[in-house]
Amino acid sequence: MFIRNDDKITTTQTSIFITDTVLGAGILTLPRGVIEAAKTPDVWLSVLLGGFIVIMVTMVMVKLSQQFPNHTVYQYSKRIVGTIPGGILGVCLIGYYIIIAGFEVRIFAEITMYYLLEGTPIWAIIIPFIWVGTYICFGGINAIARVFQIIFPISIFILVLSYFLSIRLFDIDNLRPVLGEGVLPVFKGLKSTVLIFTGCEVIMTLVAHMQHPERAVRATFAGIGIPFVLYLMTVIVVVGGMSVDSVMNSTWPTIDLLRSFEITGLIFERFEFPFLVIWMMQLFCNFTSFYFNASLGISQVFRLKIHPVIFGLIPVIFITTMLPERINDVFKLGDTIGKMGIFLFFLVPVLLTVILLFRKKVLNHHV
Amino acid sequence: MWSVIISHLPNWKVCAQAILSLVIAIGFYYLNKYMRSLVEKKNASAQKARKGQHLAAHTNLSDHYKDNLQAIKQAISSNSDVHFREFQIAELHARATLIFVDGMQNEELISKYVMKILMADVKQAASDRSHLFDPLELASYLQDEVLPVCEVYEAAELHGLNQSILMGFTALLVEGMPHALLIGSLGMTTRAINEPSSEALLRGPRIGFTEVLSENTSMLRRQGYSEELEINMYEVGTRIKRKLVIAYMKDIVNPDLLQEVRDRIGKINMDFIAESGYVEQLIEDDYLSPFQQSQNTERPDRVISGLLEGRIAILLDGTPFALIVPVTFSMLLQSPEDYYDRWLPGTLLRMLRFFAAFLALMAPALYISFISFHPGLIPTELAVTIIETRQGVPFPSLIEVMILEISIEILREAGIRLPKPIGPAMGIVGGLIIGEAAVQAGIVSPFLVIVVAVTAISSFSIPVYSAGITLRILRFGGMLCAAVLGMFGTILFILIICGHLSKLKSFGVPYVTPISPFRLNDWKDLFLRAPLPFMNKRPDMMKTQDKKRR
Repeated sequence: MFIRNDDKITTTQTSIFITDTVLGAGILTLPRGVIEAAKTPDVWLSVLLGGFIVIMVTMVMVKLSQQFPNHTVYQYSKRIVGTIPGGILGVCLIGYYIIIAGFEVRIFAEITMYYLLEGTPIWAIIIPFIWVGTYICFGGINAIARVFQIIFPISIFILVLSYFLSIRLFDIDNLRPVLGEGVLPVFKGLKSTVLIFTGCEVIMTLVAHMQHPERAVRATFAGIGIPFVLYLMTVIVVVGGMSVDSVMNSTWPTIDLLRSFEITGLIFERFEFPFLVIWMMQLFCNFTSFYFNASLGISQVFRLKIHPVIFGLIPVIFITTMLPERINDVFKLGDTIGKMGIFLFFLVPVLLTVILLFRKKVLNHHV
Repeated sequence: MWSVIISHLPNWKVCAQAILSLVIAIGFYYLNKYMRSLVEKKNASAQKARKGQHLAAHTNLSDHYKDNLQAIKQAISSNSDVHFREFQIAELHARATLIFVDGMQNEELISKYVMKILMADVKQAASDRSHLFDPLELASYLQDEVLPVCEVYEAAELHGLNQSILMGFTALLVEGMPHALLIGSLGMTTRAINEPSSEALLRGPRIGFTEVLSENTSMLRRQGYSEELEINMYEVGTRIKRKLVIAYMKDIVNPDLLQEVRDRIGKINMDFIAESGYVEQLIEDDYLSPFQQSQNTERPDRVISGLLEGRIAILLDGTPFALIVPVTFSMLLQSPEDYYDRWLPGTLLRMLRFFAAFLALMAPALYISFISFHPGLIPTELAVTIIETRQGVPFPSLIEVMILEISIEILREAGIRLPKPIGPAMGIVGGLIIGEAAVQAGIVSPFLVIVVAVTAISSFSIPVYSAGITLRILRFGGMLCAAVLGMFGTILFILIICGHLSKLKSFGVPYVTPISPFRLNDWKDLFLRAPLPFMNKRPDMMKTQDKKRR
């Protein structure tokens, strides 16, 4: 076959798809969120622990999805628990994706208005952003994966470079003492570390679109592993460079860190500009992924064509984005998403797996 | 409970904006769909009309010399450039006529090897044979024993005969012979082989295609002996027919790709194909895309190396530009010189070209977004210098850039048409003096002159001219985006281009492969030009039959 029309993605593309879905707003919101919850420098332990938990859960998701080749979670949940409960579950996931998409756009708009476009009306930032997302979603999962593949190496390079340059501010004493206040704060921090990994649920739809679904485990490991390492780096570099107290007092600690040093002799003295640029692209990937997953979900749960659904979601996402009035509402929404995430994370895949096993092994149903 | 929900409901302004965003998006969608449907409808209706056509009736030549001559005269003698030369073949006691179009045949060949032989030399041979008056054998006798010309055919059908005469063959009618003889004596004057002017190289063959198809295909053959090089001939054009050739390596090319190219060429429906640009536009995948979907080249070496990668070349009679399909984005920034030089300079030059392409596309947009929106993001001293030089410029940065960019584009367009002796002088006047005067007059800032000049020079460093045009067009889009939303607009612009490029395909090959879909093997020939010993495989993206180069 030379001219391909099937909408399948390769294993590498799957990994990059997951990475680009997970790695997003968290780079900016994670350090403060997790420090506010834990209030100790041990937060990197929370990230480490959270990462491991997330990887375990995603493995359950992958194994579950591999039972139903060519079926997404929206389709196989109906087969496991019946049409109506499965549909309700699908609707929950869709709502969750839409809210996250709106949340990401809002964070994006807030940052852009704060650092780049002061005084620009918020709709002028949000609407073109959603339109470009719509354009890319129209190409289907393959086109989206390809766009991610172009953006991914650039953003990872700049991200790592800017962390590397900020090592000059790094002070190991900011991270000490390790476990000075016991293990409890580490567990408190877990709540916000799970939020940053929201998005790995997309693997439940991706497996159905993979060329080689049997390689899904490897793809997921890489896909979660890259953002996991980068988040760990973020927390260590930011907390190590700024100390716990100043992180708590700053709205966007990562950017503040990058603003606080200058490199002479380059065109850009401060690294915050390239960082913001790649972060905007990264957030765009994030948004597109959720947008696409939500539209795919609606089209599969309600058996509609996908293109009208993508259009229909434009105003929905816009209104979702505009719902929080102030930035504090946005952060509150973020916490809520974290909680919803925990519910959907643990309950959905684990519950589905348990029911599936029960029906297969005990009731001997053919699902 | 209710009050909480109501307090969170969006106000009417937000709702109006939401609906507006939806309506505009749908509007764009239908506009796009409508534009595409226009082309499809045209194609469909043209195909129908074509089916309705029936072929012209065949009439054969008769036994009577006079009747035949009359019929031919009736059909084509209204053309003043068709000549009828009647003479007597004394020994056979027969009248004969040569029919030819003025200026299309080699006169020396006709008079020396046809007329002289028929009028004088035929005697000795004819004297001892009496059966010559058998009309059926006369034709073969003339062909086999009399005429010392290599291209001689018999023609019995009137319509085809007329066509051949108009295409440059010389027809010979002899009294008593029921067939006409067609003598191939094409002798049109052609241009000498020159160095290709649109793709000059310092190192590499200086040979370029010409307007004659047979010469072009022979240039391909002369690149080296190979049984695998296949050249297939097609005829395109409904009213004026032209020869079109597709060339490929039989054991390398992917058969599905070959079939696709053949199908698309079969669908070409146009009364006249004036240049290979017509072919390019009639077989491309997406006519709304600013990017070209087949590469045009004047260089036979480029075509041959394309064929060896598993691509297909399309050559048209009457133009020195051959097409190579499928094309990928990276090909537009490659030059044959990359391979002729050693790998280190090849690699560095190629990276330079990528950088130049980026500048040609983005430099003015970045200038606008930094100057108008984010002067805080550039180093303070530089910002202060730029802003000082901009003091007194009465326009916003978009207008300022537009003034200079548009005048540079005009200069460039005029430069193509300027007569050679005054071209450089006008370039100096246009470029240097206008630029200098514009700064002095305070219309533009000197820093901008640097930006625009670098942009213009960068776009010339792109080896494929038509790719340079694409970047020139897109540059203006980038400038508008930057003028509306600053850096954010620029990023959106980059994202749109990324999105478009990743959707675009050329004959089924994704346009930005090997970057995405990622093919590590093909990266050896992307930003890097790996040393030749490492380039031992054909590009993965072409899915060739024979993967290894050695």
